[in-house]
Amino acid sequence: MSTYPDHTGSGGDTELLAAVAEGDPEAFGTLYDRHASWLMLRLRRRTADLDLVDQIVQDTFLVVWRDAGRFRGSGAVGAWLWGIAIRRLLDVQRGEAAQGRLGRLLGRRRAPDAASAEEQALAALEHRDVIRALNRLAPELQAVLQATVLDGLSTREAAALLGIPAGTVKTRAMRARARLREELAGA
Amino acid sequence: MADVVGPGTGAAGAWHADGELLAVYAAGRLDVAGTWSVEAHVTSCAGCRELAGALVEPERLRRGRAELIATVDMPHTGVAERLLVRLGVPDHSARLLAATPALRGSWLLAVATTLAFAVLAARLGSGPDASLAFLTVAPLLPLAGIAVAYGPGIDPTYEIGLAAPMRSFKLLLLRAAAVVGAAAVLAAAASLALPGLGPGAAGWLLPALALTACSLALATLVEPLRATGISAAAWVAAVLVTVQQPGPSSVLFAVRGQAAFAILGLLAAVVVLLRRGRFESDRAFDTTPRFAVRRLR
Repeated sequence: MSTYPDHTGSGGDTELLAAVAEGDPEAFGTLYDRHASWLMLRLRRRTADLDLVDQIVQDTFLVVWRDAGRFRGSGAVGAWLWGIAIRRLLDVQRGEAAQGRLGRLLGRRRAPDAASAEEQALAALEHRDVIRALNRLAPELQAVLQATVLDGLSTREAAALLGIPAGTVKTRAMRARARLREELAGA
Repeated sequence: MADVVGPGTGAAGAWHADGELLAVYAAGRLDVAGTWSVEAHVTSCAGCRELAGALVEPERLRRGRAELIATVDMPHTGVAERLLVRLGVPDHSARLLAATPALRGSWLLAVATTLAFAVLAARLGSGPDASLAFLTVAPLLPLAGIAVAYGPGIDPTYEIGLAAPMRSFKLLLLRAAAVVGAAAVLAAAASLALPGLGPGAAGWLLPALALTACSLALATLVEPLRATGISAAAWVAAVLVTVQQPGPSSVLFAVRGQAAFAILGLLAAVVVLLRRGRFESDRAFDTTPRFAVRRLR
């Protein structure tokens, strides 16, 4: 397929990104082949508009083409891409001229530790109790946790995504954690 | 919710999503914990990502990929073009302007160097003599820019220009304005460095504008390269003829001469406007076929 090792792990992806930062279109194509389909699939769980999803993926990769050099994270490239995509979706859904805002967000995204946080969540999810507890959580609490924990959004961004005040995001996140603790203690 | 499925929690060690689980996820029938589990894992697992990729329509991926590669392969927008776009110039105009040969770094460097030498000569040489040389050279620079701004063999966007959805005339004016503007800024900066010339240091500006307008007017009759050549030769000849030795000075840089150039420039501008239709047909610019025809005869 290409000169880049097509194997698992973020090592190959990081090299790819470095090549993209140098302006290598072939590396860019390979990065697309590896990540675009999953981004589409995951975005489709956030919005039902398939064409919008395609557009978000296009925008995400254009940002990557322009800003690949800004990837400093030790985390997975996939998580970094998702961070860009979900914020782009957020911007579109808020009907903003996304360009400037996206830039600001990219400036202070926390890519490095996002992956490890997700890995931790995954490790925890292997316990049946947690799974049951999570599934029993009220939908609005689940939504808040998904935005803040899984999607790695800030309180303000989560508030925008869910269309609720930032204060509500905080109280719901607290309530969600309290509920989970109760469930786990009772289990 | 009978058809909601939980995640496949494997034995200790590596957990991976299988095709079935991913299909359930893609269909939106996975429970919350399962969804989170899949999302957190697949995002950083290349193997599972590849598996999940099979669930997306290949046609969408192919189209998206082609679009992206096409966008990325577009010529790199230079500093000048981005600056123009930021200043509010429409995209296509900015590209055509930025591609003007006379706006490229090498040409601007040549103009700057020429001016620097003129100023240096003026500073080292006997004041008025060298200053006159500067005033003579400065108006020729925008002319040279106009000369190379057009025509096959010089302009890399010549063919694009012919095919551009913009009238050649408008493009010509755009480029001429850009070239004269760039040269004028440089010459103005240079004239500040001239010793003891005062307001007279701006004496090159009106001749420069008039000569540019004359070249454009002539370009409706002959090839642009020849038109600028004629203008340049006429200018140098006029300076040589009018130069007066006690000084030396030329009436061209006095009030009368400047007024004459203002009138000449306006007249040329009127001619350009009246004959602008000539710029729309490519005959005025496309010299190659005509040479070829002549040779065939």
